[in-house]
Amino acid sequence: MSTDTERDPPAYDADVSKETIPDREDQALLEVRDLDAGYGDLQILTDVDLDVADGEYVTIVGPNGAGKSTVMKSVFGLTSHMGGTVIFEGEDITGRRPEEIIHEGIGYVPQNDNVFASLTVRENLEMGAYILDSVPQDALDAVFERFPILEERQSQKAGTMSGGQQQMLAMGRALMLDPSLLLLDEPSAGLAPDLVDDMFDRIDAINDDGTAVLMVEQNAKEALRRCDRGYVLANGRNRYMDDGDALLTDEQVRRDFLGG
Amino acid sequence: MGIAETYTRGRQFAITRPGSVLVALVGAVLLFDLVAGLATGRHSFSGIGSLVWDGLMRGLVVGLAGIGLSMTYSILNFANFAHGDYITAGAFSGWATTYLVAGFGRADVGALLLVGAGGSVFGGTLGIGVTTTPVAVVAGILVAGIATVALALLVDRTTFRPIRDADGITLLITSVGVAFALRYLMQFVFGSDVRGTTSQPPAMALYLVDGAVRINAHDVALVVVAGALMLGVHLLLQLTKLGKAMRAMADNEDLAQITGIPTERVVRAVWVIGGGLTGVAGYMFILWKGTLGFNDGWLLLLLIFAAVILGGIGSIYGAIVGGLAIGLTASVSIVWIPSAFARAAAFLVMIVLLLVKPEGLFSGRSTA
Repeated sequence: MSTDTERDPPAYDADVSKETIPDREDQALLEVRDLDAGYGDLQILTDVDLDVADGEYVTIVGPNGAGKSTVMKSVFGLTSHMGGTVIFEGEDITGRRPEEIIHEGIGYVPQNDNVFASLTVRENLEMGAYILDSVPQDALDAVFERFPILEERQSQKAGTMSGGQQQMLAMGRALMLDPSLLLLDEPSAGLAPDLVDDMFDRIDAINDDGTAVLMVEQNAKEALRRCDRGYVLANGRNRYMDDGDALLTDEQVRRDFLGG
Repeated sequence: MGIAETYTRGRQFAITRPGSVLVALVGAVLLFDLVAGLATGRHSFSGIGSLVWDGLMRGLVVGLAGIGLSMTYSILNFANFAHGDYITAGAFSGWATTYLVAGFGRADVGALLLVGAGGSVFGGTLGIGVTTTPVAVVAGILVAGIATVALALLVDRTTFRPIRDADGITLLITSVGVAFALRYLMQFVFGSDVRGTTSQPPAMALYLVDGAVRINAHDVALVVVAGALMLGVHLLLQLTKLGKAMRAMADNEDLAQITGIPTERVVRAVWVIGGGLTGVAGYMFILWKGTLGFNDGWLLLLLIFAAVILGGIGSIYGAIVGGLAIGLTASVSIVWIPSAFARAAAFLVMIVLLLVKPEGLFSGRSTA
């Protein structure tokens, strides 16, 4: 696979160069530089740069097919690496496999099929701590405190729970290792509208407790309102990076990506 | 709740599930025939009891042997046609050990190791049985399990692992090749004759209305071993970290991987546990039926597939229940049809039940 990046950039690319992305190297927990990645021979991402500071809440928004989820999967070692680096806590984790990356303190909640449907709620959480010798009681208590419904439904099969409850379980499973960075892929997808706000509140709470969050969201406006910083991704490239509120008020971002 | 309402509901059921109604009808006719036969003395209670007992024993063998097949199916996503020959391999390795332990000093070691190939030694002459040579039998069970684990791991390492990510059909066809290679290698080594392996085991008679149902020591041994192993597998899957990881992997392999479950190590554990159960099942099968030939596992495999599919492929509980259903059908069906068709009846029951409940009795590819 050639890493040929000479594709014609779209028209609006010209006025937003990579220089608009400030260098935050000194404080970065996660540092993605010039990342090229994709699936098999198909390249999706080109020269993606992204930072997440310790305890920061960052979202990636952008149109369908922009490669938002691919960024997240690339950080977690689930794509074919084609160039660039991923640094986490000062350590180069580029191209490592997910089962190694999970040891570094990154938790990942995929968008679909993110619980073991035939296992009970408790067993799902135990699987979250599989890499430890024993299930840490304090982590389990913390998850139950955060999501009381999971404690109530401990012995229920995960597959029989509602979408919102499954999403909480998936997050709870990822939190069992108390990661310093949590990757959330479309946490509001498939939720009933009245549950979406509740889900965002819970993510706020996780972030308030010190866990850095990198989130991909279809629900761009709400995600940008909540986060510290946002990236706009299109055609597998960085387009804009700014504070969430600034992106929300940016005329061009509104017009091109947020539907006015 | 008027009669009209019940009638409407019944009618609704008959329209939406005509298959179920037909199956129930056929079942009712057969049951009526059986009851009538018992009432008129055409069938004896003890005769039926003996068939049911025989069916239960056959079912335990099929169910025990089916667990390994179901496990590898649910974790590795392919139907392993070499499974039947793993059964035979377990039987030969175990019985070679039993012959050696029981007959050491009384017969040529070579002949003992080849399980009396060509009629050189007879199990009956050596007096092999669970009561007469218990040490030889226990040693045989252990070796059957261990040897089959080694074989399963060896075949996986050399043949299946390099094509782990290939699709199910590729793996399936490869496993057919492995099956042939193993079977004819065993025929080459041990010969193609079917030999008797045990002496007549002691039996007790349970009196049932008009006669006796005979239960022999090997039936009891089968019940004990199969029951213990089934319980053990259940506890392993439900209570241990490894068992839960196996179920998690059967459920969603991608998620298992991002959760940090070492999938390749779980695969190895599946071959160890599945292989061990399969080898012991092969040994117990031969102990129970008293004869051993190089085709035994292969012929049993068809019944095992029927049982596993009937139970819902991938579910180990389905394999056990499906095994009992298939075993009982194969034995009890001779009440109504000539015994030559007994196997066919087992498959007929499988087909009919799948038409009525296509997902199997325990639906889905989950080990739980």
